[in-house]
Amino acid sequence: MQRTKLVFGFSLMTLLFLLSCEKDLPTYYDFQGYEFASVDPEGGTWKPILIDNGAAIRIPAPETTTSAPYLREVAEVKAEMARMSDTDVKAVTYWTQNPIIRWNEIALELIAKYNLIPGPNADGTYTLPNPANPNGPPVFPFSHPPYAVRALAYLSVAQYDGLISAWHHKFANYRPAPFIQDKSIQPLYADNVIPSYPSDGAVVATVSRRMLTQMFPLEADYLEEREAEHLRCLLLSGANVQSDVDAGRLIGDAISSIALARAANDGMKNAQAPKAVSDSLAAAALNRFGWQWINQEVPQRPVGLTPLFGRVKMWSVDKVEDTRPIPPPAIGSPAYEADIAVLRDYAENMTQDKRRIANFWQDGLGTYTPPGHWNEFTKEFIVKYRLNPLRSARTFAYLNMAMMDGGISCWDAKYYYHYPRPIQTDQTLTTIAGTPNFPSYTSGHSVFSAAGAEVLAYIFPEEANLVRGWAEEAAISRVYGGIHWTFDATVGTNQGIEVARYTINTARNDGAD
Amino acid sequence: MKQLFCLLLLGAVGFTCPLHAQTPSDAILMNVKQACILLDYNYARFDHYWEGEVKRDNQTIAMVKRNTVMPMVAVGIFDNLNIYAGVPYITTESTTPNGGKFAGASGFQDLTGAVKYRWLNKQSEKGQLTGLATVGFSTPISTYLPDYMPYSIGLGATELAYRAIVEYKYKSGWYLRGAGAYLWRGYAEAEREYYYNNGSYYTSLMDVPNAITAESVVGKWLFANSLQIEASYFSSKSMSGDDIRAYSAPQPTNRVNIDRIGVFAHYFSPKLTGLGVVAYYNRVVNGRNAAEMNTTGVGLTYFFNYRK
Repeated sequence: MQRTKLVFGFSLMTLLFLLSCEKDLPTYYDFQGYEFASVDPEGGTWKPILIDNGAAIRIPAPETTTSAPYLREVAEVKAEMARMSDTDVKAVTYWTQNPIIRWNEIALELIAKYNLIPGPNADGTYTLPNPANPNGPPVFPFSHPPYAVRALAYLSVAQYDGLISAWHHKFANYRPAPFIQDKSIQPLYADNVIPSYPSDGAVVATVSRRMLTQMFPLEADYLEEREAEHLRCLLLSGANVQSDVDAGRLIGDAISSIALARAANDGMKNAQAPKAVSDSLAAAALNRFGWQWINQEVPQRPVGLTPLFGRVKMWSVDKVEDTRPIPPPAIGSPAYEADIAVLRDYAENMTQDKRRIANFWQDGLGTYTPPGHWNEFTKEFIVKYRLNPLRSARTFAYLNMAMMDGGISCWDAKYYYHYPRPIQTDQTLTTIAGTPNFPSYTSGHSVFSAAGAEVLAYIFPEEANLVRGWAEEAAISRVYGGIHWTFDATVGTNQGIEVARYTINTARNDGAD
Repeated sequence: MKQLFCLLLLGAVGFTCPLHAQTPSDAILMNVKQACILLDYNYARFDHYWEGEVKRDNQTIAMVKRNTVMPMVAVGIFDNLNIYAGVPYITTESTTPNGGKFAGASGFQDLTGAVKYRWLNKQSEKGQLTGLATVGFSTPISTYLPDYMPYSIGLGATELAYRAIVEYKYKSGWYLRGAGAYLWRGYAEAEREYYYNNGSYYTSLMDVPNAITAESVVGKWLFANSLQIEASYFSSKSMSGDDIRAYSAPQPTNRVNIDRIGVFAHYFSPKLTGLGVVAYYNRVVNGRNAAEMNTTGVGLTYFFNYRK
């Protein structure tokens, strides 16, 4: 009796202990604000992507630091800072002095939220998301990898160009931050001596809100809230006064309009081709090569994912055909049969390690996609190497431009060669990953990852071996998953490396090196 | 003889159907010195499930089948205290044809250990009132992947189960039983570093929601206590969690609710001393983020004195 009481007493204590354990899991990258590795006073002279130069966007000249309006603004900042609540302090700490990181995370979260493939209707038909009726059902967008990488590319390019413009005006006007003007202001961020007019944070906030609102229209209210919180934190941090913020927003609006104009006419709106066009691509491949990819889902999807994404305007490559790989092995050829044997072996002898690799890189439906995964790695390198916002934006811009160009090149190959998935030609094969709704050759993961890794190897040479190793693992993960041929992965990796050469060539000549 | 019972761990929750979900829930204990071995087999299947609260089918997975074999042992330590241990081996797969061509999964699931204590035992003229409490612990013993639904063989999380049971047994052989439990669950570990759960999560750890369960049973002893039959209603509710997203796979973070009805019989051979046969059937009749699972099981029980 005594013993059983003890057992229950102990259990009760265990219960209370466990109930008090807070299940606190990371929902964003927890890093401390840091001192930038460089200030880049010449950053305003770097060559932007969409505009001619940093001076192309004009803003009013700032009030001098001795003028009455400016001093009034400084006094307002001081008053606001004195009234700061704990929530405000938390928000300021969250946004940090490199808010590119946060807006990139917001983009990834929206990608994951909207990366849901529409299911079949009761009658076996499928309805496509429609930007004219974003509420659906199904909701718009379906942020699959091509959609995601394009959203990320436009976001990052607009941020980068906006910041080049901001840097130009910052160093042309050279108005120091309020905490430097007034020593009684205790800045909440590391003491980075970058002039404050116009506010780079405000450029990033406004660009990000506008680009993401275009890409995720149902999130307009949410994005406006995030922007408002971010802009308020710029003042509360002691880094900016209201006119710094206003000037930053002008630049943000101007560059967003330019970027969105390009996006409206880059060919994406035609990428999800109608069935007749899709069928003609399949027929052309059948005629040319003797095979065609066929969707294996039940009920069958009538059209693959974005058959004409391969025609979307590239950032650094003139003609997509210049990056088109050699044809895959013919169905039934010795190379093909050898690969069937490899896939069967993987499926029948799945190991812990292969399963882990297949899952780690899967980045499938409901996640931030493979381009999102590479953005996450990039974020961590940016913090590790203490990049300033301008260099952070440059890194994301070239990363996502290379991955988008890689994706376009990959999709060109996918629908030109129209090569079947393993489960189509060998009905006995099973997978441990979902088979995507588009042709097999080449593997999107392989191209996205290799292109991303090459840009990271260029920006962070110390990490070159690491990131290239990751790209190869991401590529082979699809073969382990049972949904790609080995040659989809190996050729795709080379294709990604090749496409990234064009991007890196642009990067080397923008004046930042 | 009538006191000889094995406790069945016959739970079925959500998609993974952890067998430990319904831990020892009958009302009678073995005497000191007695032990029991159970070998249970069950077959479960579903072809519809609730995505959030909307019931649907999905040709990607067609019908999912699950076969389970579970050995279990129960030992009477004192007349008022029994301990239990069991571990199921499970295989899952889809019927063909299906649109997904996913490989099934198989392996040992979770090792469950439990202690059951009788805190009330009141005999009256009309019948007998019994009150019991159990504490159960279970944890995965293989490297199965919980983030592979609906083929995952378990939730992948450590669980602590606290259960109270009250039974009233009439002289006529009829009995009524009620049980309630609180299930604390830890984290499942995925093989990816990012997932969406109403927002981004940058970790491979997934918070498996805690749950409460309730069960009511009516049963009767027949043929000089050689046959026990009962009907039950079981309900389980997660205390947090997200819904399965549209046309997406479930994940361990989901809020899983089920209502389930079942029948159960246990026959004790009058000739072969100590040998018994169990048979049961249950089905999920309502749920949220749960499979409409149908389970049929049979088992053999063997009771013996482990010391004189």
